Amino acid sequence: MARKPILGLFEDPNYAAEAGDALQRANISPQDYDFLTDAPYPEGAFGERHEKHRLYIFPFVGALIGLTIGILLTSMTQLAYPLTQGGKPILSLPPMAVVTYESTMLTAIIFTIIGILFESRLPKIKKGLYDTRITEGYIGVLVNVEEEQLNQVSGILTQAGAVDVVRET
Amino acid sequence: MAAGEHHSEGMWVFPAPEAVTGDMAEKAAGMPKAIARALVVTGILFGLGIAGFVMRALDDGFGAHGPWGYYAAIFMFLFMVTGAAPLAAVAFRFTKSHWRRPMSRVSELFALLGVLNVIMFIPLMIVLPSIKNPEVGVEELEIRRSIWFETPIGAPLAWDFLGILFLAICSLAILWLSAMPDMAEGRLSATGFRRRLYSLLAGRWYGTKRQWTIQKVGLGLLGAFYFMTLVFVQFTVASDYAMSLVAGWKDSIFPPLFTLTSFQSSLGLILLALFIMRRWGGYEQYIGVSAFWSASKILLGLTLLWAYHTFAFLITFWYGRLEIEQNVLKYFFFEAYGGAFAANLFFSFILPFLILLWNPVRKTDWGPTLAGLSALSGAFIFNLKTFVGAFNAGDVYAYFFEFVPGPTWPDLWDVFMVIGGLGAAAFIYIAATRLIPILSVWETKEGAKYQKMDTLVRGRYLVLAKPE
Amino acid sequence: MQEGIVLPARRINADLLRSILNSPKWFWIIVAFMAVFVLGAFSTAGFLINRGYGVTGLNNQVLWGFFITNFVFWIGISHAGVMLSAILRLSKAEWRRPATRAAEVLTVFSLMTAMLMPLIHTGRPWRTLYWIYTLPFVPYDFARGIWPNVRSPLVWDPSAVYTYLTSSILFVLIALIPDFAVLRDRTTGLSHRIYSVLAMGWQGNARQWKLQIIAGVLLSALILPVFVSVHSIVSWDFGMAVSVKSWHSTVFAPYFVVGAVHSGVSAVVFVMILLRWCYGWQDYIRLEHIDSLGRLLIVVATGWFYFFVMEVIFGFYGMESDELAVRQMQFMEEPWNLWMIFFVGLTYFLPVGLWLTRSWRRNLWLMSIACISVNIGMWLERFLIIVPAQARKQVFTFNWYTYAPSIVEIMIIVGTFAMVTMLMLLLSRVVPLIPLYDIKEGDILKTQVQIGRRTVPATFRED
Repeated sequence: MARKPILGLFEDPNYAAEAGDALQRANISPQDYDFLTDAPYPEGAFGERHEKHRLYIFPFVGALIGLTIGILLTSMTQLAYPLTQGGKPILSLPPMAVVTYESTMLTAIIFTIIGILFESRLPKIKKGLYDTRITEGYIGVLVNVEEEQLNQVSGILTQAGAVDVVRET
Repeated sequence: MAAGEHHSEGMWVFPAPEAVTGDMAEKAAGMPKAIARALVVTGILFGLGIAGFVMRALDDGFGAHGPWGYYAAIFMFLFMVTGAAPLAAVAFRFTKSHWRRPMSRVSELFALLGVLNVIMFIPLMIVLPSIKNPEVGVEELEIRRSIWFETPIGAPLAWDFLGILFLAICSLAILWLSAMPDMAEGRLSATGFRRRLYSLLAGRWYGTKRQWTIQKVGLGLLGAFYFMTLVFVQFTVASDYAMSLVAGWKDSIFPPLFTLTSFQSSLGLILLALFIMRRWGGYEQYIGVSAFWSASKILLGLTLLWAYHTFAFLITFWYGRLEIEQNVLKYFFFEAYGGAFAANLFFSFILPFLILLWNPVRKTDWGPTLAGLSALSGAFIFNLKTFVGAFNAGDVYAYFFEFVPGPTWPDLWDVFMVIGGLGAAAFIYIAATRLIPILSVWETKEGAKYQKMDTLVRGRYLVLAKPE
Repeated sequence: MQEGIVLPARRINADLLRSILNSPKWFWIIVAFMAVFVLGAFSTAGFLINRGYGVTGLNNQVLWGFFITNFVFWIGISHAGVMLSAILRLSKAEWRRPATRAAEVLTVFSLMTAMLMPLIHTGRPWRTLYWIYTLPFVPYDFARGIWPNVRSPLVWDPSAVYTYLTSSILFVLIALIPDFAVLRDRTTGLSHRIYSVLAMGWQGNARQWKLQIIAGVLLSALILPVFVSVHSIVSWDFGMAVSVKSWHSTVFAPYFVVGAVHSGVSAVVFVMILLRWCYGWQDYIRLEHIDSLGRLLIVVATGWFYFFVMEVIFGFYGMESDELAVRQMQFMEEPWNLWMIFFVGLTYFLPVGLWLTRSWRRNLWLMSIACISVNIGMWLERFLIIVPAQARKQVFTFNWYTYAPSIVEIMIIVGTFAMVTMLMLLLSRVVPLIPLYDIKEGDILKTQVQIGRRTVPATFRED
């Protein structure tokens, strides 16, 4: 049997949190429902699952790659065209540090951006069930369950105070 | 992390306002053995310092400045760190940061070391070579380069001395004004000398609205004066006792670097004191990890700024390739004091940076403290390298610093003076903690009103109120 | 410190998307007016390229004039974005919320404008392109084995500026994703399709928000060191030159950075006042925000003044005759000495005087005057650093000279101001210049603490 989404819309965040509690009581795993909001709430505000991520690895990897590129670029270009200027050595470390620093930071930042998109699971080609009222301040409780459970979940959401329950058409 | 609460264990503390006064009175009443031992040890070191000073004076007199390099270095270290320490209270009170509350008094108590700074500066006034060359030799300047140019009346000694004296007085005034409500409370519970002292210093404090307003405005104004004077005096003293003793060394970033090092190391010292209080002093219920965590971000910023200023200096001199610039680099950074610079770089930047880079480490009490201790050690080496080097850089009236000498190693009296200076500072500070509460009681009580845990939907979070 | 009331999300959407969904009548008139100046500047640049450098006031002695002054000025303005957005985000200052987006966008446009200046300054910009980019996006001429000289600050400079520009654009775009989603949900037709692509399928689930918040902090922490490096490296364009007296100063890097923050934050405050006035955003850009920025500016301005004093004192400190000649020109000779007085007065004493009292900080007219004053002053500062030093250059040069800009340079400079204004306006037509989700988050976190009879505003904090 295929899993189907169902979305409950709440005006009051407390009701949305209550819906979360009721879903848990109905043995629906926290992995199967999400709270959709138009602004960030503090973590754990809805009693939602703890989200793990590995974003911090991305800038480090990026920085290492950038550092390597920077060192190679600055050293190899100086060695490839060895022109002494102002008594400075061909491999001049302070200027190399400047350019290498920039390449390190640039690559770290680009990798961080990639990491943010990757960890946020964006871009999401198929948006799935959604309602534009969420960006008007409604709290959406998006539940993914077996098709046969849809009616039960709809009941839970309505009972918790959902102003509307939306299903996939 | 407690169930439902979204903060690490011990991150925030909520001391009961009604219990603070009694607890502090209890802590002040006795003399713990550890403190008594610390006073004995630091007292002995202090004595060794005096012996070293006397022996140095007997051996070399005050005619030449070279032998006093290590004395200058330890003075500059103490002046740098203890002079900037009261700023932590001033600055974070200005920014209305709640996390500052447990560290306010720890920072203000360093004001008492201003007196030590004034006394220790006097011999340095005697040994500083005059700006006007008494005997102009071949290829020598008539007036050596200094920030005083045509030497206005009393420059540089009188102005430097007045600056250090003003800082001592101003910081004592800050301490007095800040500690007044606590001393007024202490009148009721203290006995003997402390009772008389509190009555004398806070006899007229009753905590009226007007008194609180005056205290607040007064602390703000004195803090602003102190900050501006400190930066100015650091500029004059550091320039007079380092840069202008090295012929031709012209380095406009040196005073800001000195000031920055002072901010970094003093914050490190305050964190060290807080850590000791939290772990072994029985102040755990007053000092949350949040104080370390918030301070760690500032310490990280200062650490990065230290590296940035140092690099800005190095690359400009390296790129310029003028002989004087090359010689300054060789002397202070790469040859004579190369090892000291490497250690300075390691302790002031590399180690604290590597520690503070990690969020989980910053969220502990030991992580920021370790980084602070490292920064403090770095500042110590910075002063040794800079001032011992500057005092032994040859002819101060020469056109420029032509010959790079080797490093000057300390003799026994130098070692005595250095450890004696540290011992004296520690002795005075520890003794002061027995007289004046090391925790700002009124600020702790005030903070308790503005911080609490509360519920938002399902989670428990900290609520911070800011009255204006 | 939060004086505002909590607004419903629908009202926030309606108010902050007004610039996009209900564009006011005056909008295109002002855009057209600015476009005239921009076109004028581009035409003048074409004329300059066609006729050569003789049409400017530059000469053998003073080779860097208005163009380079303007380059440094716009790089300086660009420092507002990260200063406000990153530092205030890291310090969790609640009053940052309405200011961050406008500041970041100003960063991007001022950087782009700044980079036009050296390009025009080369006189034959296509050669610069040919020199730098022989292959598309590959800044190295592999075919001929010729490489940019890493030892030259003129190579450090583009590496830093492009890093900063790329990072700032990415920073803005990442923070825009949730707001693009709001626009996606409020538009139809082609706009809807474009915003849908830009929103990347954003839903606003807990994971996405968590990453968005961490992204803000992490990117702030990463961009901050870049921001400091950019103006430092710009300062080293000057500071590495030993032969031009008064430039070879070790304090130049922090001095330039603090000056840039001073002018940049002042510019952002002025832009915020304009936005408040143009779009009626009184509920979002409140007097408390302007007040807080005013207080921040006192600190920044005083820091700047300290570095200025260091730079000047150590200029005299060396007692070198050739440097004293430059200082003599800056401080004693007309009209430079008058400019110097104007510069210090406009940059420090006038604005700080206006920021000292709370009521003046909350007077938008006085704040506007103070912020414009800072920027005029900071423009003059760069001019007074760059020109006198070259006019009194001595090594290998045996004549002193002066410099006066030609109408060509003035037209191009005026055009850059019009261009940044026009670009800001045009962008306000497609993206909200106040981040919607940031304002909404601020409202969610608002609470109160009761102390006696007083209700004190408070905020929930995660850490």
